[in-house]
Amino acid sequence: MTDQESPYIGYVVGGGLKNNLNVRLTVPASQVREGSFVVVESGDDQFYGLVTNLQLGATDPRFADEQSENRFPAHLASLLHGQTLYTNLEVMPALMLDRGPDPASPDYETWRAAHPEDKSHAMPVKTVPAHHAQTRNAHAGDVAEIFGNPLKKGNFIVGSTREHGHPICINLDKFVQRSSGIFGATGTGKSFLTRIILSGLIHHDRTSLLIFDMHNEYGFDDQATDTNQKVPGLKSKFGSKVTLIGLGAGSKVRGLSPDSNLQLAESQITPEDVLMLAGELNLRETSATTLDALVHSFGRESWFHEFKLLKNGALIEDEKGKKIPAPDSVAYWANQNGVNAFAAEGLHSKLGRLFNLSYISQKPPNNALQEIILTLEKGKHVVLSFGDHETDLDYLLVTNTLTRQIRAAWEKKTNDFRGKNAQEPRPLVIVVEEAHKLLNREMASQTTFSTIAREMRKYYVTLLIIDQRPSQIYDEVMSQLGTRISGWLGDDADISAVLSGLASRESLRGMLSRLQPAEEVLLLGWGVPMPIPIRSRRYDQQFWEELLGDASAGNQTKSIDTIMGELGY
Amino acid sequence: MNTDQIGYLLRASTSGAVAGCRVSELELPQLGCMLRIPQAHGYQVYGILYDMHIDDDGLVRQLVTADSISPEVIADNRLHRTVPVEISMIFAGYQQGEHIFHLLPPRPPLTLEDVYLCTPVEMCAFTASGHFGYFRHILRGTDFPAAEILASHLRQAALAQLRQDNPGWANAATQEVITLLRDDYPTLMNVLAALSDAQLMSEE
Repeated sequence: MTDQESPYIGYVVGGGLKNNLNVRLTVPASQVREGSFVVVESGDDQFYGLVTNLQLGATDPRFADEQSENRFPAHLASLLHGQTLYTNLEVMPALMLDRGPDPASPDYETWRAAHPEDKSHAMPVKTVPAHHAQTRNAHAGDVAEIFGNPLKKGNFIVGSTREHGHPICINLDKFVQRSSGIFGATGTGKSFLTRIILSGLIHHDRTSLLIFDMHNEYGFDDQATDTNQKVPGLKSKFGSKVTLIGLGAGSKVRGLSPDSNLQLAESQITPEDVLMLAGELNLRETSATTLDALVHSFGRESWFHEFKLLKNGALIEDEKGKKIPAPDSVAYWANQNGVNAFAAEGLHSKLGRLFNLSYISQKPPNNALQEIILTLEKGKHVVLSFGDHETDLDYLLVTNTLTRQIRAAWEKKTNDFRGKNAQEPRPLVIVVEEAHKLLNREMASQTTFSTIAREMRKYYVTLLIIDQRPSQIYDEVMSQLGTRISGWLGDDADISAVLSGLASRESLRGMLSRLQPAEEVLLLGWGVPMPIPIRSRRYDQQFWEELLGDASAGNQTKSIDTIMGELGY
Repeated sequence: MNTDQIGYLLRASTSGAVAGCRVSELELPQLGCMLRIPQAHGYQVYGILYDMHIDDDGLVRQLVTADSISPEVIADNRLHRTVPVEISMIFAGYQQGEHIFHLLPPRPPLTLEDVYLCTPVEMCAFTASGHFGYFRHILRGTDFPAAEILASHLRQAALAQLRQDNPGWANAATQEVITLLRDDYPTLMNVLAALSDAQLMSEE
């Protein structure tokens, strides 16, 4: 059967905009699944919707209660069941399209005059289809009409419809206009899906990516935890388009040398960076005053280094034998600058965790932060691997410091573009793994990320957050996410968080908890025309062949088994 | 008398009629069969037989008290009985020219009109016309076992349709019955049980 011959599967028997549509199924229930993309044809209008529920019904409950197949001949029982037992689909209407009358009909000219544009566009549902309007499965043309033509540049296939395998695209240009999120419980394929989308964005080449790679899995090739198959990294596939940076001097990523290393200069650590770590370092309210005094005393670039050199608790004896703070001690400095000595010593003690970090040095060989920004401005992509630095403090400090500078740079570029006709900034997507560490309710206020999620869209910077516990992410950030892609979630709070702010979330709730792990994801939010569960694209050889062409895909080293298989052995 | 004629009309109303016939003609009609009463100008009324009533007469009352009755007496009593066998029918529709309507006849036929048994071809023509509208006349009946009459009628009609190369008729008819009765669970169960007993489907 070709797509164009899609048979009708039912007809509308009731419902409304608030309570979804009820469609009486005329084919066996096994032919339709929750999440199916269906089309309701009603006059000139076509309604696009999602099956959110299948409900068994009977014209009289007694028909359902009694097993009439045991009482009547099979054929008779079948006829009886066909007339008295039924399945109703609950269809959530999402979009409608005015197709206009048949071009051969006399009304067509009038309609065409009122709709001069060549192509009608689907719009949010404003009305309901008529009773008995026929319903059918969406065919490839319908899917392309709503989710975009896969052949059009900028449309990137992320998966396919579950029943018929029609390709589902996201528009990458739209995707990066607002912050996005990829969610799913552990083992549901988040990392693979992220790789797929990042590959699409890199290949599309309209956006720069800064990937905070906590687990060192996006740069070089990795190994799948479940299948032990080799998983190509972005650096392996895109070569010089992707710059891999390791945190700390001489750091290695999976035993290999990155393109460069990130070492922070002590002069780059600002009081603001420290205050953002208030929660992690358990700083007191007096810390801000002390930090102000440090900057006033040593200067904005030297305070960190000078404070580090001060000795905590060092004492000397005066002429009378009384112990007083040594001139190179924290207390001495505090007394000289009108700061509470205990507060200063407490701050010094807590900053000890920063003073000891191996990737902060007084004079690093290069200004790595600036180089990262320049790399991103040039249109390249940066994967920052944290190597062995896996603590929350490392993650918070580095991401904050870097992001704060990026924010300043992109704000300046945007203002120059708007005020001085400078070149338009290249859109930047900051990819944050384990996002709940940076964007939880306590941390969100300390980091730049919540500001980026809320305000930086205007400055061409958006976030792509990846997490397994969306409920731990600050509501204000979640509400700003345009596109949400979610794999299976079991926790009610996580499901609620992913669906927050969306209409029809009650209808989608069950769908999310019944997704097939590692196979299916739910696309929803501003970035997609309508919510839809899809079978996600496989991150395999075929993916690379389709994205880059056969030659590039062949860069991968083939295993002996693969080669032997291809030779027919 | 024509070979398909089974008797004459005794009395009629707008919804049904009673015909009288001799015992010798009782071999032809059966419960649920279709009858027709031709009228003038191409108009004829169709009915479905729902009852056959054999009343006693004075002689029978005397004979049943006898010790034994000889076969000759029984045959004579049946052949020459003075009280006719009464055949009751509900009207299922009528024909006006070439058009068949599953409606009650506009006027009842008059007494002593000829009553004929429909041939299989006539039965097929009537039952295949329209969309089983005449079922409602059967199902509306309260004076007779509608489920049994319907099952018997469907069995005969399905067989006739099958022979006329229309095997799908029985299915369509059964579906229509279910549609009409699906809000009346007890009646539908009765009808289906009767259809099951009539082995309607096994005829296909």
